[in-house]
This record gives sequence, C-alpha cells and structure tokens, in this order.
Amino acid sequence: MKSMVKKTLLGLGVSAALMGATVAQADIKIALAGPVSGPVAQYGDMQFIGAEMAIEQINKAGGVNGEKLVGVKYDDACDPKQAVAVANKIVNDGIKFVVGHLCSSSTQPASDIYEDEGIVMVTAASTNPDITLQGYQMIFRTIGLDSLQGPVAGRFIAENVKPNRIAVIHDKQQYGEGIATAVKSTVEKAGYDVVMFEGITAGDKDFSALVAKLKKNNVDFVYYGGYHPELGLILRQSKELGLQAQFMGPEGVGNKDISSIAGAASEGLLVTLPPSFEKDPKNASLVQAFKNKNQDPTGPFVMPAYSAVQVMADSMKATGSTDSEEVAAYMHKTAFSTPIGNVKFDEKGDLTSFNFVVYNWHQDGAKSEAK
Amino acid sequence: MSDSIYYFIQQIANGLTIGSTYALIAIGYTMVYGIIGMINFAHGEVYMIGTYISFIVLAGLTMLGFDNVFIMVGLAMLVGIMIASAYGFTIEKVAYKPLRSSKRLIALISAIGMSIFLQNYIRLAQGSRDIAMPSMIQGGFLLGDPDGSHILISYMQVIIIVTTVICMAGLTLFISRSRMGRACRASAQDIGMTNLLGINSNNVIATTFIIGASLAAVAGTLLGMYYGVVNPYVGFIAGLKAFTAAVLGGIGSIPGAMLGGLLLGVSESLTAGYFTAEYKDVVAFSLLILILLFMPQGILGKPEVEKI
Repeated sequence: MKSMVKKTLLGLGVSAALMGATVAQADIKIALAGPVSGPVAQYGDMQFIGAEMAIEQINKAGGVNGEKLVGVKYDDACDPKQAVAVANKIVNDGIKFVVGHLCSSSTQPASDIYEDEGIVMVTAASTNPDITLQGYQMIFRTIGLDSLQGPVAGRFIAENVKPNRIAVIHDKQQYGEGIATAVKSTVEKAGYDVVMFEGITAGDKDFSALVAKLKKNNVDFVYYGGYHPELGLILRQSKELGLQAQFMGPEGVGNKDISSIAGAASEGLLVTLPPSFEKDPKNASLVQAFKNKNQDPTGPFVMPAYSAVQVMADSMKATGSTDSEEVAAYMHKTAFSTPIGNVKFDEKGDLTSFNFVVYNWHQDGAKSEAK
Repeated sequence: MSDSIYYFIQQIANGLTIGSTYALIAIGYTMVYGIIGMINFAHGEVYMIGTYISFIVLAGLTMLGFDNVFIMVGLAMLVGIMIASAYGFTIEKVAYKPLRSSKRLIALISAIGMSIFLQNYIRLAQGSRDIAMPSMIQGGFLLGDPDGSHILISYMQVIIIVTTVICMAGLTLFISRSRMGRACRASAQDIGMTNLLGINSNNVIATTFIIGASLAAVAGTLLGMYYGVVNPYVGFIAGLKAFTAAVLGGIGSIPGAMLGGLLLGVSESLTAGYFTAEYKDVVAFSLLILILLFMPQGILGKPEVEKI
C-alpha cells in the first residue's frame, strides 16, 4: 500500500513537471485532431494540410497578438474510443483551441469533453447534425450538415436522375446512417419508394450477397451513406456480378482512393461535395501556396480546415485575448471572411449557410459538375 | 419460381466462395490446436502478410511486363506461400516454443502480442491505407437469361472454390498418407508418447505452422485478388471469422474446419440475402452459440480432456 502511494506521488510529480514544460512556452497552441492513421487517413490529411497552411500564413503575417500559432497533431484514427483519449490528452496538454475531429462518431464524444473543459472546437469535416444539438457554446463547424447534404442529394435523385427502383445502403455509423436517412426521407417526400434500406458493416470486404440482393430487387439506383473503402468494394463487386445501377454517395466517398479501389466501376459515380473552393478566383493565391508546397488544395476539407483556424485566429486578434470562452462568444456573434466565403455561425455553432454540389466522379479520380 | 431458385443458388455460390477462404484460414487454427492445444491468434496476421506479399509480387511482375495472368497469379501465390511459411515458422520459434512448457494462457497472451506486433509492423512498413489492385480476372459464367433472372458466378469465385478444393484434397492426402502426416496425427493424440517413440515433435510442430501459414497465404492471394484491396487490419476480422469456423466445426478437427468455414460463409450470405446484411454477423455468431450449446465440441470435434 505504502509503495503504491509512493508511486502515485512520483507519477504526479512527473506529470506536473511535464505540464510545467508545456505551459512555459509562449506560443498559442492549436490542436489538430483527426485520423493520421486508419482507413480514412486521407481525409485527415486534407484537414491537416488546410489547418497547417493557415497557421503558417498567419504566422508569416505576424502571428496573433504578437505570438506565434503552433499546430499540434493528434491521431484519433477515426475511432471514438481513441478520440476520447485524444480529447483528454489535449485537456492535459493545456491546449485551448482544437481543429477537428474529422469523423462525426469521433467528434461527438470528444465535443462533450471540450465543452466541459472550456476548449473551443471547430470541426472542418463532421457533418452529423446531432453534434451541435446539445446546446454547447464551445463547439463550431465550418462545414455543412448531413441534413443539408441529404436533401441536396435527394432532390438531385428525384429531379435529375428519376430512377425506378431506389436502394439506400449505409454503414451503420453516425455519419453514414444519418445522411442515408436524410436521403431516404427526401426521395420519399418526392413520391419515390425506397425498395431497400439496409446497413452493412464498416470494414467488411465481401458484398456479393448484398449485390445479388440489389440485383434481385431490380434496383437501378443505389445511394450509399458511408466512406470510400466500402463503397469502392461495392462498386467493384457490382461490376463483376453484373449489377446495372447508378451509384451515389456523400463527400465521404469523394476521394481519389475510390478510383483506385473500384477502377473503371467508379466512372460516373455521383458525389455530393462542398463546392470547389479552389476554383473561386479570390482563393487563387492560396491555391498557389498549396501548389508550391506540392499539396492538393482540392480535397473537400482543406479550405474548411483553413477557415477554421482563421476564424479562431481572427477572433483572438479581435478580442485581444486567448481566453477560450471570450473567443467562443466572439465567434458566435461575428461574420468572418474566409476562403469558404462569408462565415457566420448560428447559436448552435453551425454555419448559417453552406452549399453542397453534385459532381460526376471519374475513374482517374477527377470530378466534374453533374447536370 | 425459377427466379427465386436462381437467387438461392447465387447466394449459396457467394457463400461458398467466402466460406472456402474461411476454411483455408481455419485449418491453421485447428491444426495448431490439435497438436499443441493453443490458439495461434497471430494466424490472421499471417494471412494478411500473405495478401501483401502477393500484391507486391503481382505489382512487380506487372512492372516487368508480364501479361499471362495465370503465371503471375501462380508466382504470386508461390512467393506468398514461401514468405508466409517463413513467418509462420518464425512466429512459432520466437513466440511459442520458449513457452511450450508454461501454462497455456501465457502462450495465448504471447500469441495476442505477436498479432499486435505484426499488425503494427506492417502498418509502419506499408502504411495504414487501403492498397488497391485492379481486377485481373474479369467475367464469369452466366446461367439463365442475361436480361432476366440468372446466376452469375465470376471466374474469380470459381478459381477460389476450385483452389480451395485442391488444397483441401492435398492436405487430406498429406495427413492420411505421408509419414509426416502420420506423425502429425500421432502427435495430436499424444505428443509425449510420439516423442518417446522417436518422432521429433519440434519438426512436427514446425510443419504444422508451415502448413497453416501456406494455406493462409493461398487464401490471402485469392481474397486479395477477389476484393482487390488490402490493409493491415484485414487479418483481424478474417482471423476472427476463421477461428469461429474452426470452433464451429470442432477445433482440432481438419474436416471440421472445412465444414465450419463453408457453414459460416453460407449462413452469412443467406442472412444478407434473405434477411438483412446488418444482421449477418449476429446470425453467424448466434449459430455458433447454438451449436456450441448442443454440441460443445463443435460439429465434428471429438470430446476430449480440457487442454486450455
């Protein structure tokens, strides 16, 4: 017993020494939380390069209130358990500003911790509506919601595609199921029947049974709510097993990897994505800055992540403070001009307006606007 | 009427395909358990490594300008088998042999540690992202009306099932006819006694691991080509499913592992086909629990003294 107490005291001493080390630096730290590893790390990269570019440019322009911003990466691997561990680590490291997390299922549990600890969190990628329904004051996002994206997809299906038999498939995760449900209710409101509404298991590799079932139900349109590793395999197996159907997915599938997984089967896939901010002439110099570093500015979360950092930095400058509560209060009542356009948050921390656009995906990983 | 029969046959074919690969991996679990009475939890990772090796070989051959698919796949499988066998052999020597005389639970922990080590080692060496490969063998056999109800069994599915049957037949012959096979069977009955009779049990155990790893590499090559993707985590789920198949069929029994794999694959595909894909794993594992309730030793397992 005695030795245990000794060990605990020793442990406390060590952690206090470590904490002392982090507090001693004058820089303003911003935690960048998202998947560095795991199956959706590509999206993490988009978020990281966007946020790091913003930090670099703000520092080059003199920093914030005379201090430099420092980005610290945390890997949650898009795993809710690891996201909670990361959030606790950020609290322990004394960081007050977070850009992230990426996956809605990670953001949700992490946001509870940030709210309790008074940490400002801006996610550039989590689109599940539930995240901002808790009445939290510290949680924001610089991306649209599934409840916006779903109806855009649903309306496009009803007005442009006009399929005969629709199936809606999802991966049972918060993001995928949320968006799939929104699509289902939109097309049903437009007078279409959804003949199949089913979940699959994320990480699964064999979808031949599902494809056979889609074929049997004579489905000619499939909406998939989820991420690219599963949809890529579904597309590939559909082609091999002779299913003739048009596929569509949310921005979680809009990634070059879907083309390498599905190959020719990814040609013509419909994807709803945030508008191509990199095509906006106002962002030309920023796009050039990414290109100079050999980075790809076209990913859907790059500009939202840049904007997330910028909004926080602007608020710190305007309030002249790095007090997170003060910054959050300022963010709630101010409009910002960012690469994703004018950003204004509502009382929930969501953007007051955000557009999604439907694109045609091509097998070389490029995309073009769908008509 | 014919429509629903076609659909049923289609789903059975899909289930048999995935079931055969479960069976191939399950052999590795069941043989090791049969002889040394431990669960080799790192076996799923050997399967994953086999997939990576075959991907690397296929990519290399494509770059060298080979275009005969069968030679390429054959070579990939051969190299996969050799390297995966080396892994299987080494895993046994490093992680299990030093612990052979200690308690079974300690070897089990060592196995789990080995599994985590291999998964992370591949993750660091190859990256954590999905690596994809274009499909090399396209098309399939079509039965029925191409525009109406029909059965489509892709060539890849046929190749998987046929290769599995060949491997299983070869393994059965090896176990029942060869000297080493007889030594394996004898060791499974009483390893101490076989030692006294002049059979080197170290060789028998090493052979067991090599056979298991080779079959896992065959499954890895086949499934890698069928799905076209691999990541460092595929071994975990595949290993879990194969382990379930081995338990279902009766762990320690080789025909049991084959039967268990096929049963698991078909039950998964029928659940997804007639019920919903969401409950595919629920039904598969409920089936396992039900069978174990009524047949605690699995379908073809022999009741035996508790080894764990």
